[in-house]
Amino acid sequence: MVTPEQVRGYIERGIECDELRVLGDGQHFEALIVSDVFRGKTRVQRHQLVYQALGDRMREEVHALSMRTLTPEEWLDTNG
Amino acid sequence: MDVQERIKQTVTGNRVVLYMKGSAQMPQCGFSANAVQILKACGANDLVTVDVLADNDVRQGIKQYANWPTIPQLYIKGEFIGGSDILREMHESGELQKLLEA
Repeated sequence: MVTPEQVRGYIERGIECDELRVLGDGQHFEALIVSDVFRGKTRVQRHQLVYQALGDRMREEVHALSMRTLTPEEWLDTNG
Repeated sequence: MDVQERIKQTVTGNRVVLYMKGSAQMPQCGFSANAVQILKACGANDLVTVDVLADNDVRQGIKQYANWPTIPQLYIKGEFIGGSDILREMHESGELQKLLEA
């Protein structure tokens, strides 16, 4: 069983994050990912970067991952 | 016909296509059910759904087609729009409604 901490580690290794929060029950995970690398990228491209970081684990270990992918500026905006 | 070619024909031959688990009437996964619900709420009455559970070639092939490892996947006018989270965000911001009306 995969823990949210492990998923966090996988993402962290692939993407330099300003803020990274992962919750989950071993199969379904929710992640908030704030990173500079998302700047100028579409939502699809951002999610693809995260999927890339997860690689084959996305198929084998992680059944579902809901994510919010924000730049540091967007993250500030959502925090008011 | 090659599965990639088949997918291309489906997404370019129909305006709104959702690849999902199950049917619009009987979704087999919560994420697919949400996607159908959102599209209905946006008034997408020309929605075509493809059940990936009914065809394993399509189930695997669609992941390569858009370089996207998860289902559901929405296509509008042949263009990959996104998966479950993106649909929800675009619905909340009103972007999806605009895209479907265009």
